[in-house]
Amino acid sequence: MSDLTSDDLLAEYLKVQAQTRRQFVGWGAGGLGALFMNSAMAAAPQPHAVPSALNFARDPATPLSVLPPQFAAKVKRVIYLHMGGSPSQLDLFDYKPVLKRFHGQDCPQSFLAGKRFAFIQGVPKLLGPMFPFHQAGKNGTWISDRLPHLEKQIDDLCIIKSMKTDQFNHAPAQLLVHTGDARLGHASLGSWITYGLGSENQNLPGFIVLISNGGTTANAGKPLWGSGFLPSVYQGVPCRSAGEPVLYLQNPPGVTRPERRQVLDAVDEINRENFKTFGNPETVTRIAQYEMAFRMQLEASDAMDIKKEPAKVLERYGAEPGKTSYANNCLVARRLAERGVRFIQLYHWGWDSHGTPVDEGVNVGLVKRCKETDQPTAALLADLKQRGLLEDTLVIWGGEFGRTPMWENRGGQEMEFIGRDHHPSCFTLFMAGGGIKHGISHGETDDMGYSIVRDPVEVRDLHATMLYLLGFDYRKLNYPYQGLDQKLTGVKPARIVSEILA
Amino acid sequence: MSAPAYAACVALVTALGLGIAAWTHPAFLHSSLQTMGLEAVPKAAPGSFYVTRIAPLFETRCISCHGPTRAKGQLRLDSFAAAMRGGKDGAVIVPGDPKASELFHRISLPVSDDKAMPPSGKAALTPDEVTVIKLWIVAGASGEIRTIKGAPKPVLEVKIPESDPATVQKQRAPLAAAVTQLQARFPGVIIYESRSSADLEVDASLKGATFGDADLAALMPLKARITRADFSSTSITDASAPTLAAMTALVRLRLARTAITDKTVQALAGLKSLKSVSLVDTRVADAAPLKARGVAVYGGGDE
Repeated sequence: MSDLTSDDLLAEYLKVQAQTRRQFVGWGAGGLGALFMNSAMAAAPQPHAVPSALNFARDPATPLSVLPPQFAAKVKRVIYLHMGGSPSQLDLFDYKPVLKRFHGQDCPQSFLAGKRFAFIQGVPKLLGPMFPFHQAGKNGTWISDRLPHLEKQIDDLCIIKSMKTDQFNHAPAQLLVHTGDARLGHASLGSWITYGLGSENQNLPGFIVLISNGGTTANAGKPLWGSGFLPSVYQGVPCRSAGEPVLYLQNPPGVTRPERRQVLDAVDEINRENFKTFGNPETVTRIAQYEMAFRMQLEASDAMDIKKEPAKVLERYGAEPGKTSYANNCLVARRLAERGVRFIQLYHWGWDSHGTPVDEGVNVGLVKRCKETDQPTAALLADLKQRGLLEDTLVIWGGEFGRTPMWENRGGQEMEFIGRDHHPSCFTLFMAGGGIKHGISHGETDDMGYSIVRDPVEVRDLHATMLYLLGFDYRKLNYPYQGLDQKLTGVKPARIVSEILA
Repeated sequence: MSAPAYAACVALVTALGLGIAAWTHPAFLHSSLQTMGLEAVPKAAPGSFYVTRIAPLFETRCISCHGPTRAKGQLRLDSFAAAMRGGKDGAVIVPGDPKASELFHRISLPVSDDKAMPPSGKAALTPDEVTVIKLWIVAGASGEIRTIKGAPKPVLEVKIPESDPATVQKQRAPLAAAVTQLQARFPGVIIYESRSSADLEVDASLKGATFGDADLAALMPLKARITRADFSSTSITDASAPTLAAMTALVRLRLARTAITDKTVQALAGLKSLKSVSLVDTRVADAAPLKARGVAVYGGGDE
């Protein structure tokens, strides 16, 4: 191995950071100005922007090392079940008997005046709930008959019926939910959290992404688990549930582990030379990533291998080893949670129920998606609970926006299949796990399910609440970038949803 | 002009000026009278409905435009006296009559209205907040009354726990050396519960079988500070029972997939702060001693 220890690397890193400042001043200002600036800035504690409220400095060779939260955390990890395309809240959780009465009538003008929809034009018809609802659980929570398994866990859920967003197209809305901003370039939830807390398991990435439904990615693509302005080591690592979990992780045929070690040593040495010359901290990240990949060769295959689960567990989830499915991913999620992975992100695509093709019908596509996800989601919750993991895990289920109480009429035409358009004004999301009330519903929409009448929850409020449960004040988990102390919640005021905290 | 005539002129102009000022700025008149002690300054009692419920709303939603730095329409809402004084057009709060109160009228207008307050672009008051103000005016807009029947409950704002680094350092000092030494011996296993705490969390589950009874025993110096511990999948046995039983601060303990038996469970029953224990995939057959104490038990013979 090289003669450079991690202490040396850290010293080198700091030295180079300091040099950059002087060079900048030297090139930029020149002359007396430079002299003045140099002396004035010498007092500044950090070479870039303003210092963050909390110190997240780590040895660059172990960027995922564990750091304690700001204050005592309620949960240690997050499993986020994103239903890409956005399920209809009106057909699953948000029961509207009044809307049912007006089913088929023209949408009132007051709903349409001054509004723009993604596809609805002219005057659409109102569309009542498509499935029968009934009350379940100790508190008589309304739920549709499409989620019979989840119904059994209803007393563990905290259902927020008053989520709202300001984005009505998939990609920006997904970015808002997963990075706190509708534009590209911001750090995702999992990146922020692994940056803030590190990862318990140094042999696995701290932020793992599992995608199901034909391997289609969500509209906004990889930036949904990107690290944005945070160092790239905090980005999410997508793993496959069929075949090799991580492509090109295993050694090719004929290459042994010691041989791979030798290659890595040589590459590391070159990288260290490169770092000595240019001092780019991303080089250190790269060395760390190679080393983690080497350790992952053993750990990842084991963590992802659901064949090791007893038959009765596979059956509970509806998991079938060797396939790519949401059920398999739910089971993998539990295995990863047990192994100390900080943020486990699942995507299940196909909830965009416009009614244009048949598979996008509320009466067809939505039914199929429910069948694919209901049992595994419920099994995951039950399994986490039974193992005591739900106490310190936060599970979040939801899409990126809601769906309209109107029957979509794309291009002003009546459609063959039943569909609902995008609806940013309200949607339903549920949480389960440590630190929050369970068996409750929070927030309320009007009788038509059109707007929120009580306790609106912005996406940034959800983020602030999530960070609070993980032991952070959303104002203090910062990263200085472009002259601003960047936050997950952005610059608008956010609120921790105190009403749902246990 | 003679001196008396001059003095009379000055007095007249001054009186006229003050009169006009009092007429165009009624709040100024009251404010001056109150300053001169010619009029009682209305005050709100500590703990009154005004102080606990109304003032915070004014404070967060109104005073950036109606306060000490800016007083648009000559209205200030940064004190009870100022709020009752009103603005350019007189009182904005008419005790007992929300309909006649300009303040209530403005906050109940739709956001799209030009006269709506807070103005468009600023966060509107929630329906509950509008109701609170209405009920307070109905009840006489008093600074004395403490509770109003039927008023929506206040929204609880989460307080972020404050912490002082010096205090934390002091709390950590007695064990600091031991913690550092053990952290070096077991990398990644011992961590402070938070940046503002001296309590510790131990997670040895990822060490697997390499972590055994002797290693657990090495944690003894930290016993009074360990609040959460995870020894799942390690090779610890019932031999660790006394060590575990000595960890008096334990709140959450994970012993899944270990060789422990009922013997350890019995030893744990004496831990007073213990709230949750995982015995998943162990040979424990009877977790009754813990359950009897109200501890949440996972696994351990009830599958």
